[in-house]
Amino acid sequence: MAEPAIHTSGLSKRYADVDALSDLDLDVHQGEVVGYLGPNGSGKTTTLRLLLGLIRPTSGSAEIFGLDCQRRPVEAHRRLAYVAGEANLWPSLTGSETLHLLGRVQGQVDAAYRGELIARFDLDPSKKVRTYSKGNRQKLILIAALMARPDLLLLDEPTSGLDPLMEQAFRHSVHEAKERGQTVFLSSHILSEVEALCDRVGILRNGRLVDMGTLSDMRHLSALTVEATFDGSVPDLSRVPGVSSVEVEGRVVRCQVQGTVEPLLKVLASSGVHELLSREPSLEELFLAHYGRSTDPGTGSLEVPALGG
Amino acid sequence: MGESAIVTPAPSGRWPRTVVARETARRGVRSAVLWGVIFGVYVTESATGYEGAYKTSGQRHALAQTLGSDVGISAIIGPASHLDTVAGFVAWRTLGVLTVVGAVWGLLAATRLLRGEEDAGRWELLLAGRTTRRGGAAQALTGLAGCALVLWAITAVIAVAVGRSSSVHIDGRSALFLAVADVSGAAVFLAVGALTSQLAPTRRQAASYAGGVLGVAYALRMVADSGAGLAWLRWASPLGWVEELHPLTAPRPVALVPIVGLIAILTVLTVQLAGGRDLGASTIPDRSRPPTRTMLLSGPTGLTVRLVRPVVIGWVVAIALAGLMLGLIAKAAGRALTGSTAMRKLVSDFGAHGAGATTYLGVAFLMVALLLALIAAGQVGAARGEEAEGKLDHLLVRPVSRTSWLAGRLSVATGALVIAGAVAGVTGWLGAASQDSGIGLTNMVAAGLNLVPPAVLILGVGTLAFGIRPRAASGACYAVLAWSFLVELIGGIVNASHWLLDTSVFHQMAAAPAVAPDWTTNAVLVALGVAAAAIGGIVFRFRDLAGA
Repeated sequence: MAEPAIHTSGLSKRYADVDALSDLDLDVHQGEVVGYLGPNGSGKTTTLRLLLGLIRPTSGSAEIFGLDCQRRPVEAHRRLAYVAGEANLWPSLTGSETLHLLGRVQGQVDAAYRGELIARFDLDPSKKVRTYSKGNRQKLILIAALMARPDLLLLDEPTSGLDPLMEQAFRHSVHEAKERGQTVFLSSHILSEVEALCDRVGILRNGRLVDMGTLSDMRHLSALTVEATFDGSVPDLSRVPGVSSVEVEGRVVRCQVQGTVEPLLKVLASSGVHELLSREPSLEELFLAHYGRSTDPGTGSLEVPALGG
Repeated sequence: MGESAIVTPAPSGRWPRTVVARETARRGVRSAVLWGVIFGVYVTESATGYEGAYKTSGQRHALAQTLGSDVGISAIIGPASHLDTVAGFVAWRTLGVLTVVGAVWGLLAATRLLRGEEDAGRWELLLAGRTTRRGGAAQALTGLAGCALVLWAITAVIAVAVGRSSSVHIDGRSALFLAVADVSGAAVFLAVGALTSQLAPTRRQAASYAGGVLGVAYALRMVADSGAGLAWLRWASPLGWVEELHPLTAPRPVALVPIVGLIAILTVLTVQLAGGRDLGASTIPDRSRPPTRTMLLSGPTGLTVRLVRPVVIGWVVAIALAGLMLGLIAKAAGRALTGSTAMRKLVSDFGAHGAGATTYLGVAFLMVALLLALIAAGQVGAARGEEAEGKLDHLLVRPVSRTSWLAGRLSVATGALVIAGAVAGVTGWLGAASQDSGIGLTNMVAAGLNLVPPAVLILGVGTLAFGIRPRAASGACYAVLAWSFLVELIGGIVNASHWLLDTSVFHQMAAAPAVAPDWTTNAVLVALGVAAAAIGGIVFRFRDLAGA
């Protein structure tokens, strides 16, 4: 097996009295598309800057394709491209001058693909960067990264400032990269984006990786969402084993079920249920399971108080 | 964490209508306080230095005779009258230096607080509140006025305190007026900077437009004070009006009328232009679609050349003009040096001897050395700016090592310094040769290049600071520079101890072309600079990149 695209062990970064990142053990295999989710300030950018060697770890180590990120950054950078969430470029250069410069510095450019990307992202490269909107500057650094066709793409909230149409163009480009066997590490707080693109997801909270797995691995952590409509009176579901977060709206009850659904089904069957909907939790709900509650860790349920019933 | 963040109104929310004014004043007040203290110290030092150095009326009389009739001194600092009194000396010496220093401070502060804040996108946040573009500009000007007031108040307090001392004897009212005169250059150029902030598309451009205005104003004042029968030109330059205030000797408050009038006009224009343009846009059109030029854009060093080129060209032009001007007046000014004990002392403090055009240029090139050092400090600031603004990230996440980026920047900066030094020598020679001063081209070019080592030392010290305390890099350069220049000025007039003089980066520099450049000492200065830069570079390699 080839060496992992990204490998970190015990990677930590401490600023004064804040642990920006604690003890991160992460492996991203070649050809994978991995999502890196967390709210603002959870340590996503810190992780990426450590991987890029822009900042130094307090402890632990990180490697890109087996190359130490601190000791051999230049060699590691030959194989990757990075897109920052904030595109602070040189305002006096035009778009095409910027692409020319970044291509030359990178050392590899697929010129035909660059043209395709410029068309896809609908960018006018003849203008000065100063006159670009935030979205246009973001497109520019996205194109600069993608046009190099690197083995590894490190993306830090790359779609900030892009409109939905351009987000589609971005997703298309990530799919393309994946088909070509490129590895993608995508930090984001946009759940639908990660859900649509990623094979595996890591969830980061307060500088700690609290979960890592495929989307289906993650789903068991959360509850099944069940919505039932009753003919007559609404039964009290809050005492049914495994059921939580009961919400009642007229004759409709919405709740979360953890583990087996059998006890709930028994109660429903004897209560004249008229309509029953159940679905897998979305990544939104997975995310809320980790961030949206204050107590009760591990159940993955949403602490929404039951509205009567 | 994020989920519990609740927006609470800040205490400043009590007066939302003045938030821009207060924010501008808050951002500017620190440097106003710092410069107020420097102004005050300079006034104090002028008074006490004079008291100490010229004790008898005979000495004072001799000083007044020599300096007072010196055309070169008059052109550079301003006409020296009543030098036989402490009041006359303080007025002449503080006005001549503080007006220009204050003007530079004013234009940099105004462009930083107006155009710089706008470039950084912070204006957008402020203007999204309860104000308009026009109102925002008016408020920012109020904030700048607050900064000017702080500068004046601190200068005034110190001046009044010094005036009370028994040996100096300057009454309170005169001291207050002296402070007004000393800060009026700063006030005018705060307003000039505010206006150019509306005209130019970037902070840097705004500062260079304002710098151009200052250059013209200074040149006009200089011609007027060169004794060529063009004294009326003084009324064509704001710096001339400041001179016409004649604080302490023959106060003429009426000269405040054009000063205040100009500030008022500039203020109104600033507010009008701010209201009439889009946020982030400039009044002077910025070509948004220039032709693509990729010749230099093949690597980080080429990019550096491209980025610093406009600024360096501006500096080199300024230095060329300064060299030319000094060369032109060298012969006349050198003649005045002959037979003056005070001037001979001043000259010998700089390591020069004798009299004549070469001696004069040897002393006057200290000014040019300061300009070169400013280029060096600016280059350190520019390198730090690339890091602080996150632009450096785009290079360092690619196969570019930190060392090669920094080495490239330092080479470009050093190249700029060498060019600037050589240009000063050549134009100085042109000016001197046109007056048949009998100075050789080789000597003048050597004198120009002789100015480079102190600037290289500043570059090295700045790079060391950039490695160790990146956020303090620019400040460290300007602090060393300001200190060194003050030490030279103090040492030039009064007897200062050698340990004090040795703390100046300029003091080891030989006063070429008056004496031959000391290339051994120069090599030591360069070596110190290179060593400091190397340590800074190594530290930079192993530290975290730091944002603004």
